[in-house]
Amino acid sequence: MRRVFPSPEVLRPRAPFSRWDLVVIPGVLVLLLLLTLALRGATAPYGPNTPDLTVSLNPAHLPYYGLRTLLRMLAALLLSLAFTLVYATIAAKVPRTERVLIPILDFLQSLPILGFLTATTAIFLGLFRGNLFGLEAASIFAIFTSQVWNMTFSFYASLRTLPRELQEAAAMLRLSPWQRFWKLEVPFGLPNLVWNAMMSVSGGWFFVVASEVISVVGRDQDQYLPGVGAYIALAIQQADAQAMLWAGLTLFLLVLLYDQLLFRPVVAWAEKFKFEQSESSDTAQSWVLTLLQRARFSQRIARLPQPLWEWLWLKSARGHRPGVALEPPPKPRLRTRLADLGFNLLIALGSLALVGGLLGYLLGPGLGFGNGQMLRPNPNLNTQLSPEIAQRFAALGITPGADGSVWLSQLCAASRGGQALSSGLKALLETPGVWAPANLAAACQAPLAPAGKVAWPEVLEVFKLGFFTALRVTFFVLLVTLIWLPIGVYVGLRPRLTQWVQPLAQFGAAFPANLLFPLFVVTIAHFRLNPEIWVSPLMVLGGQWYILFNAIAGSAAIPNDLKEAARLYGLRGWNHWRRLILPAIFPAFVTGGITATGGSWNASIVAEVVQWGDTTLVATGLGAYIARWSTGEFNPHVGLGMLVMGLLVLAYNRLIWRRLYQLAEERYRLD
Amino acid sequence: MQTKRKTLLEARNLTKTFTTPEGKPFTVLEDIHLELQEGEIVALLGRSGSGKSTLLRCLSGLLRPSAGEVRYRGQPVQGPMPGMAMVFQSFALFPWLTVQQNVELGLEAMGIPAPQRRQKALEAIDLVGLDGFEKAFPKELSGGMRQRVGFARALVTEPEVLFMDEPMSALDVLTAETLRLELLNLWQSGRLPLKGILLVTHNIEEAVLLADRILVLSSNPGRIRAEVAVTLGHPREREDPAFQELVEEIYCILTTRPAPERATLEPLTLGHRLPQAPVGALAGLLERVAEGPDYGKEDLPRLAEEMRLEVDDLFPLLDAAELLGLAVLQAGDIQLTAEGQRFVKAGLEGRKRIFAERLLQQVPLVGHIHRVLNTRPTGRAPEERFLRELEDYMSTEDAEKVLATAIGWGRYAELFEYDYNTGLLSRSEEVASPAAG
Repeated sequence: MRRVFPSPEVLRPRAPFSRWDLVVIPGVLVLLLLLTLALRGATAPYGPNTPDLTVSLNPAHLPYYGLRTLLRMLAALLLSLAFTLVYATIAAKVPRTERVLIPILDFLQSLPILGFLTATTAIFLGLFRGNLFGLEAASIFAIFTSQVWNMTFSFYASLRTLPRELQEAAAMLRLSPWQRFWKLEVPFGLPNLVWNAMMSVSGGWFFVVASEVISVVGRDQDQYLPGVGAYIALAIQQADAQAMLWAGLTLFLLVLLYDQLLFRPVVAWAEKFKFEQSESSDTAQSWVLTLLQRARFSQRIARLPQPLWEWLWLKSARGHRPGVALEPPPKPRLRTRLADLGFNLLIALGSLALVGGLLGYLLGPGLGFGNGQMLRPNPNLNTQLSPEIAQRFAALGITPGADGSVWLSQLCAASRGGQALSSGLKALLETPGVWAPANLAAACQAPLAPAGKVAWPEVLEVFKLGFFTALRVTFFVLLVTLIWLPIGVYVGLRPRLTQWVQPLAQFGAAFPANLLFPLFVVTIAHFRLNPEIWVSPLMVLGGQWYILFNAIAGSAAIPNDLKEAARLYGLRGWNHWRRLILPAIFPAFVTGGITATGGSWNASIVAEVVQWGDTTLVATGLGAYIARWSTGEFNPHVGLGMLVMGLLVLAYNRLIWRRLYQLAEERYRLD
Repeated sequence: MQTKRKTLLEARNLTKTFTTPEGKPFTVLEDIHLELQEGEIVALLGRSGSGKSTLLRCLSGLLRPSAGEVRYRGQPVQGPMPGMAMVFQSFALFPWLTVQQNVELGLEAMGIPAPQRRQKALEAIDLVGLDGFEKAFPKELSGGMRQRVGFARALVTEPEVLFMDEPMSALDVLTAETLRLELLNLWQSGRLPLKGILLVTHNIEEAVLLADRILVLSSNPGRIRAEVAVTLGHPREREDPAFQELVEEIYCILTTRPAPERATLEPLTLGHRLPQAPVGALAGLLERVAEGPDYGKEDLPRLAEEMRLEVDDLFPLLDAAELLGLAVLQAGDIQLTAEGQRFVKAGLEGRKRIFAERLLQQVPLVGHIHRVLNTRPTGRAPEERFLRELEDYMSTEDAEKVLATAIGWGRYAELFEYDYNTGLLSRSEEVASPAAG
């Protein structure tokens, strides 16, 4: 056998340091320092006796707030990644689980993200009792829910589409499941995962702004977690335009920083995992990645845990044991049948229990019926859950709930069915912020649902509200499509322009649109426009960018020979659009449209109720309904709102987008 | 070397059935017996659809036989065994790993620590002549170099049996030839612990060049139809008359239908698996045969060589020509029939007319579609209607292929039209039905 000499490259002495280390090492140290700083703030004590959390509008605090916000984003991203790897892998690999896990994911994905904030605050506060981290966790969880689902779907889809040849190679090489996961499955799914994570984080900025102000049960004031989002919320409440500008600048820098320090390098690094047989011409570049790759000493430090990894690696190896075939061993038919039957039965029972529990929670033990009659809605009179109003009710002998809610049924009981109103109560009912039925006596006659529970008529009402929101989403997504599609195509057909505009569009998508809401409020209030119509553009403010940059990407990808053929045959004007452009960008448009509508549904919760100082504009819709009931504790009304929105989004996607997507896949693919 | 040798790998009564989505089983391999002895190269040769790749995967433990068993050194094979390695047609390299990392992968699975891994990998890379490319990514390499990485990755684990699944068919002719020779050199040099090679190929010459034994598979379902021993010494020359005789012999085996299949020359059934032959290629083949030196008769090996067609491409065309009665196959030769001669001499319209006549006469499926469309007042029918009928005879996938072929032929012959968007077949409007004329 020939003696193998080490290659000359190995023999050349290499200094342990390179000059790049001079940049990287201090950089890393600064990052670590900042991390500790933020972590210390995030884990301060927090309990019933600590003062309310608030933020200051002094711009000098913004760097620190930015740091905290950044940390929240990062934590949510890491959490999403961990969840994705575990959940998608189980769904793709453990037989049968897929049939449960994927529909669950599909449904969770359609639920409005901001609803999760209300739903989970109490849980996290209980989990981290006495520590601020409970609130932090609630905020992080809300951001997490805005990012995780499409990442999980993307990784799951990758696991299901692993190239057959690589699966066979991995099996022939007898890789252990652990080795296979890290050498085949994760690398193959990585480019899509990174892309989806980037999209998710873009959306996440929108929700970080909305999820840093949390209402906590037992506290009169909303809690402002130190962060840019809380800063913006306070600025909006106080109508402080200057603070808004500072916040805008900070967010601009944060998004830029996140992009440059995190995503650019990761995208550039993920290039090598693309499953392609030839090198593509334009590859992503990142100065940060180059820096890291050239800093020799830092790399050496980063490789310190390698022996542990290697130990784990070899520990999992099959050694001389046989590998596993790509097919499962045949099982006795009867046994498989029985197992299937048992599993299906379990799913059926589980779903039944779930639906039953849900209905019980929403409607009360009578499931919305009492004494053979359908119960009527029992509204909360203290619509803003204002503590002052709650106190005034208490003074008049009506004890409000823990969150300050006062129910119609309580009023009826205190006034003999609305017949005998004391003068104090009468005056209180006319105070702003208190809702009372026009005919109290008549309202009290109806059999009322238990306090805080939903009545069947309300369910119908909520579906009606959902229909309005659906109408808004549809109309405005169509509208922005009409505006941005031609612009996107114009840009996409001109490569030099594309290079400039595409990053801007991506940045636009990441920049939280809620920052611009006050502008609209001021304008609408000033011109006395109808909020039912004019609030709606806010819903697509964030989503429109997806339409733009997908239109650009789609038209930039039209093959040159097609464009040349179109020119040769003199295709012009409408014919040019109908025969070439529209079919060619259709798949990209569908991708953008799905993202844009999903974002709009989610944004409706913050867009249908907007505020600037004392001005509050409300539009009739499901988003406004959820927003109104989201003050205070999670309650059946929020639950109902989320449920209905989830169902509507699911139906919307099934009925419209999925069909368009299939059409795009079958007919308009260009490869 | 005719002494009693040890058996490396054997298959007994191996049968492989797949299940269609509708739950209907169909058999790909039936009752295969085969042995791989120490020190021999065995080639599996067959047309497409003969299940040769499936057989290789059953033998290597990637797939489980539905019945029968596979034994490696006397032990039942339940999955890929240590001592087995495979080289793939599409190389199956991990694009995110460098050459060296790809080669080390098999060693990692064996639990070999990093320093030894590195050493062995470098040796293997050196062995296949890729030193200097250790740190390259597969996409930087040419096809031939990629397959060398494939060989290095297989050989580095020091396997006893090497499975090769059409290893050269994705390479250009020259590169493939070089690799074949290098492989033979390695094999004969005794530098490898390798004890046997099982090669799947659809290239007859490749089989004759490399193998000690060639097993010819029949199609639908795959059975071993013939075994040809190759006793020529190495190096083998293509020009050697003995070599050419062997090639000729294998062509004869492949073109002669076994007794049960003979019956198919009688009127076919609706469920006959139409060969996937595009009309353009078929016409080209017939023209070439007509223009050849023997005027309407041609030797298959020569034809294949000249038209650069391998078994998988050539045989569907031959089958189609024979099916339509445009040519007959005999003893490794193709000969045009009178109809075939007429077809070649006719112009475009004439060819279409002849083709339509032949289709209606010889292919029940086309006739059936034509009849259905003509009896319907609307003159239209959805493709699903015919797919369902075909699925009584074959898997969904095959049914789709067969129907696509029938539609392609029928469209060419202007017997009917097909709308891709709606999936509707319709009576041809402009041209009067040739069957009526």
